[in-house]
Amino acid sequence: MASNITAAPDHRPTFREAAAHLVAQGRTAASGARLWILLLLAVTVVGVIGVVGRIAGGFEDRTAWGYYAAVVSFLLSTAAAAPMVSIAPTLARASWVRPVTRVSQLFASVGVVTALLYIPLMFALPPLVEDGVRRRSIWFGSPPLTPHVWGSVAILGLVFIGLALLWASSIPDLRTVAETATGMRRRIARRLAMGFIGTDTQWKALRMRIGVLGAFYFVFLVFTHLVFSADFAVALVAGWKDAIFPMFHAMTSLQSGLASTIIAAFFIRKFGRLERYLELDQFWAMSKLMFATSLLWFYFFFSAFIVFWYGRTASDQAIIDTMVGGPYRWAFIATFMMSFVIPLFTLMWNPVRHSIKGPTIIASIILAGMFLDRIRIYAAAWSARGINDKFIREVPATHWPDIFDVLVIVGAVGAAALAFLLATRLVPAVSLWEIQYMRLLTRPVRFGKGHAVIIAKPD
Amino acid sequence: MVSPAQDVASHSWGMAVDIDRCIGCQACVVACQAENNLPINEEDHFHQARAFEWIRVERYWEGEFPNIKAHFIPILCQHCENAPCEPVCPVYATYHNDQGMNVQVYNRCVGTRYCANGCPYHVRFFNYWEPVWPESLRNQLNPDVTVRSRGVMEKCSFCIQRIRRGRIDARKEGRQVRDGEIQPACVQACPTNTLVFGDLNDPTSRVSKLRNDRRSYRLLNDTLRTEPNVYYLARVDTTEAEAAHG
Amino acid sequence: MQQHRELSEKQINTQLLNGALATPGWWKFAVIGLALIVLAGFATFGFMVNSGIGLTGKSRPVFWGALITTFVFWVGISHAGIMISAILRLTQAEWRRPVTRAAELLTVFSLITALTFPIIHAGRPWRIIYWIIPYDFSRGIWPNVRSPLVWDPAAIGTYLTGSILFLYVALLPDLGNLRDRTIGWRNTLYSVLSLGWRGNSRQWRLQTTAGILLSALMLPIFVSVHSIVSWDFAVTSGVEGWHSTIFAPYFVIGAVHSGVAAVVTMMALMRWLWKWDNFIRPEHFDALARLLIVVGTTWFAFTMIEILYSLYSLEAQELAFRDMQIFQWPWALLFVIFLITGFFIPVPAWFFKRVRNSIPLMFWTSISVNIGMWLERFLIIVPSLARKQPFVYTWGSYHPSLVEIMMILWSLAFVAMNMLLFARFFPLVPLFEQKESQVFSSKIKIGRASVPAVLREREQE
Repeated sequence: MASNITAAPDHRPTFREAAAHLVAQGRTAASGARLWILLLLAVTVVGVIGVVGRIAGGFEDRTAWGYYAAVVSFLLSTAAAAPMVSIAPTLARASWVRPVTRVSQLFASVGVVTALLYIPLMFALPPLVEDGVRRRSIWFGSPPLTPHVWGSVAILGLVFIGLALLWASSIPDLRTVAETATGMRRRIARRLAMGFIGTDTQWKALRMRIGVLGAFYFVFLVFTHLVFSADFAVALVAGWKDAIFPMFHAMTSLQSGLASTIIAAFFIRKFGRLERYLELDQFWAMSKLMFATSLLWFYFFFSAFIVFWYGRTASDQAIIDTMVGGPYRWAFIATFMMSFVIPLFTLMWNPVRHSIKGPTIIASIILAGMFLDRIRIYAAAWSARGINDKFIREVPATHWPDIFDVLVIVGAVGAAALAFLLATRLVPAVSLWEIQYMRLLTRPVRFGKGHAVIIAKPD
Repeated sequence: MVSPAQDVASHSWGMAVDIDRCIGCQACVVACQAENNLPINEEDHFHQARAFEWIRVERYWEGEFPNIKAHFIPILCQHCENAPCEPVCPVYATYHNDQGMNVQVYNRCVGTRYCANGCPYHVRFFNYWEPVWPESLRNQLNPDVTVRSRGVMEKCSFCIQRIRRGRIDARKEGRQVRDGEIQPACVQACPTNTLVFGDLNDPTSRVSKLRNDRRSYRLLNDTLRTEPNVYYLARVDTTEAEAAHG
Repeated sequence: MQQHRELSEKQINTQLLNGALATPGWWKFAVIGLALIVLAGFATFGFMVNSGIGLTGKSRPVFWGALITTFVFWVGISHAGIMISAILRLTQAEWRRPVTRAAELLTVFSLITALTFPIIHAGRPWRIIYWIIPYDFSRGIWPNVRSPLVWDPAAIGTYLTGSILFLYVALLPDLGNLRDRTIGWRNTLYSVLSLGWRGNSRQWRLQTTAGILLSALMLPIFVSVHSIVSWDFAVTSGVEGWHSTIFAPYFVIGAVHSGVAAVVTMMALMRWLWKWDNFIRPEHFDALARLLIVVGTTWFAFTMIEILYSLYSLEAQELAFRDMQIFQWPWALLFVIFLITGFFIPVPAWFFKRVRNSIPLMFWTSISVNIGMWLERFLIIVPSLARKQPFVYTWGSYHPSLVEIMMILWSLAFVAMNMLLFARFFPLVPLFEQKESQVFSSKIKIGRASVPAVLREREQE
């Protein structure tokens, strides 16, 4: 160690402080959580009315289901992608991610909402073989219900792995909750902690489980986006041959997953008074990644756009008209501004990135942009006609949402927030053991006259 | 007397190819060869797939012997309005002129061959070697047509030299070009009137009428949207038609 | 994982300058051997200029072949430098340090080599300058900016300029070091090149800032270069096999795959040739192999998605093209070799720590990747052209001629020779990075264990 490095005082909370603070947070009575839960429950009920109304309208008219599909896709692209924020940096052994791993993994609970919303959508999807004619799909000659089956496998698998990941990485904290909380939370936590007492073997198994589940989650996320985008968007538009689209879908979901995590972290930090746990460093690092993914948004979009635009074959032109320059131009321009232009010209400045409000505001804008993006894709794709044609000969007109669509949109967001909030009642919103690890493996020091931190890189 | 500018703007050259009439005699191919100073295609050139045929007659067999039918389709540069070969050329060696023709400027060409990749009709040809003619044929070269050097692309020009001459003659006499007055070599040589050339801007020209025929279609235009100026008239199969209508 | 070997600054200087200050015995023979191949390559090119492109195996409709494949190949290799230097610098990966210079150098020389190929392949190379530099204003004709072939030199030229700057900025401290250790004309050379480098804190701050700024600025260029090369193909709507939206990211990730593999090859050679065992250690191969697993798997996924989506349309000419590419002799053989060498041998092998830490195995697997990557481009370019559009009457085939093979050999020798010449005058492993990494490496005591750690400066809010 170089001689000009000296020890610096460590102001970070100790494990005992953290445990007391965070477990107390989880009480339902705390921080007005009960009120919020009731409110979100009401919103969810509104959403259920919307879903029922949509189903009552029947499955024959595909156009009517466009916004519904966009909502499912929106949840898949935000909540389902959020756990990646913890997975990728953990696999790359980044140290900053530890305090936000839990926030991002709590989004796995929203998977339940996504899966429930997905069920009616399956019935709206046309079968592979209709009137003896087989439509084009990535499943080629498979049985008629193949897309439905694989779509369900993908989404259920994603929900299952996500919850398993959340559970696996919460086990040490559940143990702490079991020791310090009271009443029902204590009983549930003890049951879920599975007899964890922190032996070497248990820790090793825990880390391995997190690694394996994380890798699986990533693979399943990509698979889900591939299957969902292919069956619920691409295959419905004749002549839409766009190999980058599943990757665009998955990549933009990472951007929105980051945005979701930042927003969740902001509220948890604010309402849970967790300023000492979720620090500026976390927001800074996440906003850097959000900046990078915003650039990638443009890159993946443009890769497809230039090929269509320059190629100008009949199907190329039809696709651009359907989703970019045609009836949904308003949605596209708004998306382009909110998912790329605004993040680019704000996040490129370090003062914006290096703050807490800055990334949060940009993250909200990105989420709104993502929502419009999914609308321009799914509402357009579901109203396209002539599924067996060579390409769409008639660009579908703009389809505006009806009252049920609005109810579904509001209800889905409410239900997602409710699921997230309920999950934070059980496990602490900041991972106690990760905080403890961080305290152990990093040391603030003075380096010459400046500040520095020493980060241990164990195997 | 028409002013030159008006004269230029008023033409849009095009061709109609009636596949029903084509007998696959290859007269057009030979005529083109002679008119446009194409290098002589030797056997090797065909083996190497480097033969020059600004117009070629593709032959497709249908059925098994003895119930076999031959289909012929003459294919030449389609002079697309929306030509894929044009935007990709880095030096503007190929561009669209104001008479609806896709033209090639040999002197600008550096031989990237990108246009040939872009062309979906395979009608662009590259001079892999310096073209040579036997001494005895030196004097048969057409003085109106450039002899292309090694390393440049070339393709059907709708016999632009004949179009020029026709327009100059017409202007000298102070009149419009008459329909059928200008004939590219292939059209002139065709014994069955398969090929018809003319001004698509003139609604009374033969080619304009054929364009509006209900048999008319354009190659690959449905999917690629190249908007060719060459119109094909579909083949009418009499045996099939009889079978269908009794 | 990080086996730290504390070396004094003096040891670092003497060991790492052994290429520049003391010529190894084999150097002269290697350079002469390579120079002979390079000369033969130039002679071949002259022959082709004199006779015509007919010397290649190209025909109609396969107008592009092995030469353009090799162009794409070298542009791909050039992605090594920025991947290693810029991305790993911005993500603060410590293990990048000893390989940065070699990777940047590979970028510069492979780009120069790549730039020559469109010229070699053109019908009239002597006129090619027309479309690289705006020319002949009197005629009023500028290059056609709509053509991807004009985007190419623009992107590659920018990338080359940036890479040279990047290399030079990182070379400055070492040039100052060399200046202080030489006499005579070499001292003059290094004095001029080192721009008065003294190593004071202002100079260091400027050098670091320049490095970070260049890293950030080079990243978009890095992505754009191979994207633009891919658009040469992808925008061509007439060629079904090329007209695919995935091409840009697919080519970029493939380029990173081949570029990083090429860096691994070079690292092994450097370790063997200059005996830099203290600097290029198994842990570096290990880290690069882990990176390659991720990159290689992503690339393979892109390959599969590309094939899936091209078959998805069920269009006749697309099926015909895939049939030729995957099932017809001899393309089927090439396709199998491509899959095996590009993915199925190296990537699973890297899952084993034994392979990752074995230098000979890493050397051979990395070579295997680049064989696969060359074939990948070949299999995209040629069968797509040979099965272009439904005019079966004019479908064709292709095989490279001797002249083309000679030009490929020339390119390999040319890059290798340039690297060796560079190594004769400048250190291939950056000295200052090595020293900096020693300052930044640290240890933390946790309980009784002492865990390796790194130091990160941070602003205090």
